[in-house]
Amino acid sequence: MRHHPLAPLSFLLLPLGLYVVWVIYPTFATMAMAFTDWDGISAQWNWVGLANFERLFADRVFWLSLGNNLRWVAVFVTIPLAMGLALALALNRNVRFDRFLKIAYYLPMVLAFVVIGLMWAWIYHPRQGLVNNTLFHLYGFAQSLGFDVNPLAARRIGWLGDPNLAMGSIIAAATWQHVGYVMILYLAGLKTVNTELLDAGQVDGASPWQLFRYITFPQLAPVTTIVLVITVIQSLRAFDLVYVMTRGGPFNSSNVLANFMYIEAFMNYNMGYGAAIAVVLFLISVGFIAAYLYRVVQEEER
Amino acid sequence: MRRLVLIVVWAGALLWLFPIGAAFVTSLRTQTDISAHGFWSVPREVSFANYAAAWDRGRVNRYLLNSFIITIPSIVGMLALSSMSAYALVRFRFRFNRGLYFMFVAGMLLPFQILMLPVFQLSNRLGLYDTHLALILFHTAFQIGFCTFVLRNFMRTVPVSLFESAVIDGAGEWTIYRRIGLPLILPAFAALATLEFTWVFNDYLWALVLLSSDSLKPVTAGLSTLMGQFVNDWPLIVSGSLLAAVPTLVVFFALQRYFIEGLTMGATKG
Amino acid sequence: MRRITISILSTLLVALLAWGAAQSGMLRYNSYMSDPAPRELDERIVELFMERYPDVRVEHSTIAHEDFKQAIRTYLVASPPPDVLTWFAGERMRFFTRAGLIADITDVWTDNDWTEAYSAGAQAMSSDEGDYYFIPQSYYWWAVYYRTDIYEEVGLSVPETWDHFLDNCRALDAAGYIPVTIGTRFRWPAGGWFDYLNMRVNGPEFHIRLLDGLESYESEEVRNTFAHWQEAMDAGCFIDNPSAYNWQEAADFMSQREAGMYLMGQFIMDVVPEDQQQYFDFFRFPIIDATLPIGEDAPTDGWFLSANAANMENAKLFAEFLGSREVAEMWARDLGRLVLRSDIDRSIYTDTQRKGAELLQSADYIAQFYDRDTPEELAGRGMDAFVEFMANPDALDRILADLQREAERVFAARE
Repeated sequence: MRHHPLAPLSFLLLPLGLYVVWVIYPTFATMAMAFTDWDGISAQWNWVGLANFERLFADRVFWLSLGNNLRWVAVFVTIPLAMGLALALALNRNVRFDRFLKIAYYLPMVLAFVVIGLMWAWIYHPRQGLVNNTLFHLYGFAQSLGFDVNPLAARRIGWLGDPNLAMGSIIAAATWQHVGYVMILYLAGLKTVNTELLDAGQVDGASPWQLFRYITFPQLAPVTTIVLVITVIQSLRAFDLVYVMTRGGPFNSSNVLANFMYIEAFMNYNMGYGAAIAVVLFLISVGFIAAYLYRVVQEEER
Repeated sequence: MRRLVLIVVWAGALLWLFPIGAAFVTSLRTQTDISAHGFWSVPREVSFANYAAAWDRGRVNRYLLNSFIITIPSIVGMLALSSMSAYALVRFRFRFNRGLYFMFVAGMLLPFQILMLPVFQLSNRLGLYDTHLALILFHTAFQIGFCTFVLRNFMRTVPVSLFESAVIDGAGEWTIYRRIGLPLILPAFAALATLEFTWVFNDYLWALVLLSSDSLKPVTAGLSTLMGQFVNDWPLIVSGSLLAAVPTLVVFFALQRYFIEGLTMGATKG
Repeated sequence: MRRITISILSTLLVALLAWGAAQSGMLRYNSYMSDPAPRELDERIVELFMERYPDVRVEHSTIAHEDFKQAIRTYLVASPPPDVLTWFAGERMRFFTRAGLIADITDVWTDNDWTEAYSAGAQAMSSDEGDYYFIPQSYYWWAVYYRTDIYEEVGLSVPETWDHFLDNCRALDAAGYIPVTIGTRFRWPAGGWFDYLNMRVNGPEFHIRLLDGLESYESEEVRNTFAHWQEAMDAGCFIDNPSAYNWQEAADFMSQREAGMYLMGQFIMDVVPEDQQQYFDFFRFPIIDATLPIGEDAPTDGWFLSANAANMENAKLFAEFLGSREVAEMWARDLGRLVLRSDIDRSIYTDTQRKGAELLQSADYIAQFYDRDTPEELAGRGMDAFVEFMANPDALDRILADLQREAERVFAARE
């Protein structure tokens, strides 16, 4: 169909302009900044080549943070994914009070990460927190049964203060938030599953597991791809929870790249160094963004 | 088997609600009561005093207002602008059409940390640092990617003939956009607006990067100040957090259907 | 569409107007006084100022202390920056004067005869190469705070030597108390322990050379410092999981009569409930090597004006007020801080203040604090290292090697 050659432009000018200024340009500016020693204060800066990256790869905090990000990804693509899928399968059938059950699982999703972080920081508090106080009573009960436990020990567990527990505790809070999201996407996906095939399978005497494994799950593949990509991207971007709950501490044991970058750039004012961290984070994400784009392209061809 | 599954699902659901319930119970108690008798003790007195203190002394009233001042224009802006770009992508064939679309899709997945430093500098140089406008502009711009993606795919379901008949009637492009394009995507607006409301309202990072005055902070950043001010008064801090969650909860319960529609639209109509 | 356009435009307009209004006839003051007691005083001072100068509207932002320390550089490079900010005197201030971010207020100093009124130490802390940049507020002492009632109950006496201190730890531990509370969630309380141990073991001179990059963290001296720290840990001195608490929560253990001691600045009293204050007293950090000069931490706080302040005239008015005798007395009277002006009658001091002032007067050297005496970027890594040591003492070699490498990089970059 013919149209005035400038017509698309008149519609695109404003949105695209804003987008270029606030999203496209900053992306490339950060990439350039990663090769400078700019401190964010002085007017002067120098090109330093790969120096920021060399320093980064020699920095223990970087590897700790990266490791934590990868751990986060590893947990997120397994536990919330499996739970969300299982819940979707369970709730997709006629279940009484299914609305209540669904709400229970996705309620955390509408809460701000800051709110979640504060709430869970309290839940994890060694003295006043919910977890340790519950353990305290459980230990007390066990003790009354004759087991050799000291209830007071429960109040000494520092979920966020112990370097071995901090990261896991944060990821647990994040999981609490994420499960509902996965569940919603799978519930939507299940609506598109071909029920005739399932019925046919049932007639042929396939077990529930076989039905799931060979009929339902393959049909959910597009949803699974999306869920995987979104989950991974979310785990890589994670910042709010860490910042609110531990600031990456104790001694970087719960640090992640996003928080490391924020501290270096805005607290230590190593803008160039911070930019280099952001670029690495970006490069790690690129693979997943490409996977998503690939799917979008496929969809377009159809 | 079926029954076992149900039991597990119910147990999980109660476990999932438990932190929120426990937080609510805590918010009604006093710090001294909890420190002295533990969380599982029977509260000696129950009051909403913590909410009053968080609202007033903790300035949650001001922070919530700021959150709305930031969120509502951002949503209006992003919906208006992305409906324009979506219309252009669906309605017209031109070079880079596909390329622009992919750019918007890729942009919504960016680890936004990569934008942080230049966005800070840019708002600074434009004299927008520490104003609500900086946040409004940024949220609008950043969410254009996602909104365009959703709206474009929604609009594509409209038959081309509808537009063509309008052209034959001699209507200008803006008229077609307004008379045909916008009404068609209104249902998508509702879903997007609900979803974006929670996203923008819950943002913390950008408020941290673009604002410094306490009086301008949205409730997420304000909570951090509240926590610094009442460091060891957990009932008060928890009350503040719950207050901060009220608007998103209200929106969620009132517009649940749209919220979930928005989520699935964004994710599955790729 | 038109309606949408109008709403966007009107939002823009409103925001711009609001921003324009913010630029005239006012003053923006960002403060880190976020604990209730100092915050209350801070707000009272602002109100008093506005009463005196009704034309000036102070927009007062209180930011959580730890957030403020992280965000201050962002505030300062913003346009416009806040006009007046709270900050730390000495090195931490000079970092910004070198970057050209702090206004020269030599005129305020001379016009108000502050060069006469303030002690020589305060003047040195407020200036850089002969020009004045800082308005000193007050200073305070660091010491080991202890609960007199617990000490009495367990039958302990105030320790003057290291061994005596360790014995007290063991006795408190045996009596079921937490001997020493400390909260290192925001790291710096561990810096206090390092300061004192290093000054007591190696002397203040070595300490400052180390913090200036002239000595190595891998040296025998520093290892010896950590060996003493280890002794305290072995004696069961410290609370479990210090990094689970911030400093105020750690102080609660003392207020609730569960912990016996806390190495802390005088501001600990800001968070101790009034009915508990009578049980709090303090003593000098025990002497380890009696042949060495005695060093103490006594940081000076205050304010400065942004070099690019949009409301410089009002900011200077506020500066004059903040540095006045009247305001200085409020800090001493209401919060128990020590005054820096020599024209204030010391008779306003309480016995506690007198004791603290004497503790500092009898010291040979006054340090600021670990994160104020060494470059900030390195201080972060250093305090991480101290916190890690407390949790993971076996990793000391690796911790010190990492810290030393970081120190070399930071000091090399400063050249």
